[in-house]
Amino acid sequence: MAEHDPRGERLDELRRKFGREPLPPGADQKELTPREAQPRFRGLESGHRACQGCGEALAARLVTECAGPDVMIANATGCLEVFTTAWPQSSWRVPWMHSLFENAGAIASGMEAAMKAKGKNTKVLAFGGDGGTYDIGFQALSGMLERYHNVLYVCYDNEAYMNTGIQRSSSTPHAATTTTSPAGKERMGKRHLKKDLLAIVAAHHIPYAAAASVAYPADLQRKVRYAMGIEGPTFLVIHSPCPLGWRHDSALTIEVARRGVECGLFPLVEIERGAVTNVMPIRKVRPVTDYLELQGRFSHLMTPDDARAEEERAHLQALADHNIQTFGLRGDTPDAGDTQASSSVGRGGHPAGRV
Amino acid sequence: MVILTRGAYARPGTSLDFKTGNWRSGEAPVHVHATAPCAASCPAGEDQQAWFARLQEGDAEGAWREVVRANPLPAVTGRVCPHPCETACNRAALDAPLAIHNVERWLGDEAIRQGWTYPVSAPAADAPEVAIVGAGPAGLSAAYHCVRQGLRAAIYEAAPEAGGLLRAAIPQTRLPRDVLDAEIARLLDLPGITLNLRARLGRDVTLDELERDHAAVLLAPGCQANKAWSIDGAVPVDLHEGLNLLKEFVDHGQLPEARRVIVHGGGNTAMDLCRAMKRAGAEQVTLVSASGLPGPETDPSDVINVVPRELEEALEEGIEILDHTTINRLILRGSRVTGVEVMSLRKLRGEDGRAHRVGFEGTERVLPVDMVIPCIGEEVAPEGLGALIDHGYLRPRDPAGRLTQERVFALGDARGDHGTVAAAIGDGLRAVRALVAELEGAPASPDGDRVGIAPDQLNLSYYDHSARVAAPKLRVEARTFETEIEGDIGRAAAMAEAQRCLSCGNCLACDNCWTFCPDNAVIKTVELARDGSHYLFDLDYCKGCGLCAQECPTGYIRMQS
Ligand SMILES: Cc1cc2nc3c(=O)[nH]c(=O)nc-3n(C[C@H](O)[C@H](O)[C@H](O)COP(=O)(O)OP(=O)(O)OC[C@H]3O[C@@H](n4cnc5c(N)ncnc54)[C@H](O)[C@@H]3O)c2cc1C
Ligand SMILES: Cc1ncc(C[n+]2csc(CCOP(=O)(O)OP(=O)(O)O)c2C)c(N)n1
Ligand code: SF4
Ligand code: SF4
Ligand code: SF4
Repeated sequence: MAEHDPRGERLDELRRKFGREPLPPGADQKELTPREAQPRFRGLESGHRACQGCGEALAARLVTECAGPDVMIANATGCLEVFTTAWPQSSWRVPWMHSLFENAGAIASGMEAAMKAKGKNTKVLAFGGDGGTYDIGFQALSGMLERYHNVLYVCYDNEAYMNTGIQRSSSTPHAATTTTSPAGKERMGKRHLKKDLLAIVAAHHIPYAAAASVAYPADLQRKVRYAMGIEGPTFLVIHSPCPLGWRHDSALTIEVARRGVECGLFPLVEIERGAVTNVMPIRKVRPVTDYLELQGRFSHLMTPDDARAEEERAHLQALADHNIQTFGLRGDTPDAGDTQASSSVGRGGHPAGRV
Repeated sequence: MVILTRGAYARPGTSLDFKTGNWRSGEAPVHVHATAPCAASCPAGEDQQAWFARLQEGDAEGAWREVVRANPLPAVTGRVCPHPCETACNRAALDAPLAIHNVERWLGDEAIRQGWTYPVSAPAADAPEVAIVGAGPAGLSAAYHCVRQGLRAAIYEAAPEAGGLLRAAIPQTRLPRDVLDAEIARLLDLPGITLNLRARLGRDVTLDELERDHAAVLLAPGCQANKAWSIDGAVPVDLHEGLNLLKEFVDHGQLPEARRVIVHGGGNTAMDLCRAMKRAGAEQVTLVSASGLPGPETDPSDVINVVPRELEEALEEGIEILDHTTINRLILRGSRVTGVEVMSLRKLRGEDGRAHRVGFEGTERVLPVDMVIPCIGEEVAPEGLGALIDHGYLRPRDPAGRLTQERVFALGDARGDHGTVAAAIGDGLRAVRALVAELEGAPASPDGDRVGIAPDQLNLSYYDHSARVAAPKLRVEARTFETEIEGDIGRAAAMAEAQRCLSCGNCLACDNCWTFCPDNAVIKTVELARDGSHYLFDLDYCKGCGLCAQECPTGYIRMQS
């Protein structure tokens, strides 16, 4: 009798689920289309209905292609859920379940418990927008973290409720215009500050909580892989520009995200057990106006000779400076993990990816 | 077990049925292989981007083969070319241009060390034979490109050795003879080339005979006749003409003795001669040039016409340069010169709209000297060519070098429109290419049908700063008549320098487009896609956001309708 080999069985199962059938020698190989023959996992397929240049679609693709294929996803209501699953089609190639707007954390907890009961290792991911995470899904998330479920929760932070028409969330940055925080006579856009969710999440004393940006995909995927390797609750917030809601050119999604990091407004930090263990140093810090000027949601801050606009610009600059100081983001001497080195390419890809 | 019904789930990846490509309103991404500025400005016709790409892959021989598609003498040009490619290099917008000439030279030397051979096969025994007059860089390059294109070449050279001015005039301190010999020998060893030495057009053979016996005649005799020089008719008795002096010096190491020397002119000959005279012991050597030193003061069209590095080294060696200056008058005692009167001048636009040199009254001064050496340039020697010469040169009617006679081309310095080794080499390439098209009855493909690419069309965020390699140089005190002044950068530095190339206008296989497309509409393929990149656009799903074009570091993707 053959020895019981749980790892081998698991491998066979995965092969059946995701692998290509090994063909006997000499058998006709199935012609793969160029799309099928690509050297990466296509967790999130084409044909989804996101807007042109959608940062959230990109972020979700980057996460799924490196977390998958052995994952399942609970996805809160929001753009990502809507644009990937226009009935009767789906863009996903992994098990994926739509939760409510407010309970992705709870649904993911249940999925994880079910996997545990079945003795499976399939990792559960929870996806939500900033509305679904910072605001309405917050308590479900907190409960999931507190109960120590083995789930990676990813928040696609496009800084407003985009799917229902750009309403402000607690993640919307100070002074940005949304349909519910319009700039005008009374106010210069949103009056309140962006919530520091990462700190709150980290206060659950979980193993890993980090911020990433679509402008640094190699760094983003490194963080996903790191989180995937942890048994326990982990959290990733990804800065994901929304051309529609932020009112920028669809071609500038990455440029906007890059400037958001380079000015200090969106610091890329990693927190383990409540302590900051890593930050991405900024090789050349840019003024926040470089970031603001590309986006229509901040256009009221760019009017010349407007004292209110000037004050708000100064306020945002002070917030960025505060981040830079708090996290020690200024990286004047080159570092292998700084903003420049993280984006540099060479022939055949990112130098880090080639070794 | 609960079975999910069709009403409750969708099958994986089925959104592929929905072709979001029809959302595209205007432009779609296309791959555009532009001509990088280095290549566009290279007179020899090299594609530096292409050979740097090979070096980036670690393939030095492949890189050399890429170089010799255009330029058979890279160890020579790597040493003497004024490298307009570096002046044009887009990397200047980031930190400093690529050290293209240093890497080219290393490749050239490496080929000699390793014994790499040109990737050409022997032309058929009955292939048409082309007559080439002159075995300077223009003639040698022409012969090489004939063989590459399957033609045979018969070279007629007046001198006892091939090389033209490379051998006769350029000092060893800049171009060691073993390097020159190695490259020329490798070229002349090619099958299909016959070299006739001591065969002078006009004396040993006539143009009519050449035309009669060959498929075409390529004239590359250089410029052998000194232009007449006098200052208001005055000429010192012991007049030495600069190029002749230099050729004698290069040939048997002799220079006339003088304490204070003025060299009049502004080209490579003048510069080499200044440096040789200084090294031979002249106390003071002054270059008087109507053109200006490079700088904001000088119009780029009026800059002294020498290799920038030579200028720098000459200044290090203590050569004095009076730029924007001319000689007004020779002060003769008897018929020996004892001084010159010089005057400042500038190139200014006159009322007729053309630039004239205008001298400024009141700027005259007298300099004591023992010798004045004119280096004001040469023209085509009329021997055998009399009827073709137009105001000193052969002056062809198109870039390929065609003269009025059928299948007679002018190449190199003799054309009168340029005067560098690289241009002479490029002339060989262009003339043979045009000739082959003509022989095959095909229309000559127009040069430069590819678009260019400027730094603002690149995305420089993706390139880290990286210092340009500096070549080792002999200290001024250690410079002699024999030893080469600029040294080799070596393999490691050459390979590292190649990594600095931005790959302007050509895919770098960096994966950015593939990584950043939110719609998976960029497909990475295993093999080269049709257009030379590894990536395809799947227009069924491309929504036309323009992200890939924006984030392509090399400007290889453009949005077009
Ligand atoms: C001192 C000096 C320094 C220079 N330094 C540089 C430099 O650093 N960088 C650079 O790019 N350029 C430099 N140049 C210019 C460069 O040498 C020329 O542009 C180049 O050599 C031109 O090549 P060519 O083949 O047209 O002519 P040449 O090199 O002059 O060759 C012409 C050949 O034709 C032969 N010939 C002439 N008439 C006849 C005839 N009737 N029958 C048969 N054969 C004939 C000649 O003997 C000669 O071998 C320098 C020139 C001089 C004089
Ligand atoms: C309880 C509840 N309230 C309101 C909604 C309507 N709703 C659907 S999506 C959405 C906004 C989602 O915003 P966010 O979570 O930021 O995701 P985004 O669309 O920006 O990606 C809202 C308000 C809902 N589905 N459920
Ligand atoms: S509204 Fe914004 S987040 Fe939603 S699909 Fe469009 S670009 Fe993406
Ligand atoms: S960076 Fe490379 S391709 Fe671009 S101009 Fe310079 S040498 Fe040429
Ligand atoms: S983004 Fe990179 S891989 Fe894509 S076309 Fe440009 S250079 Fe090539």
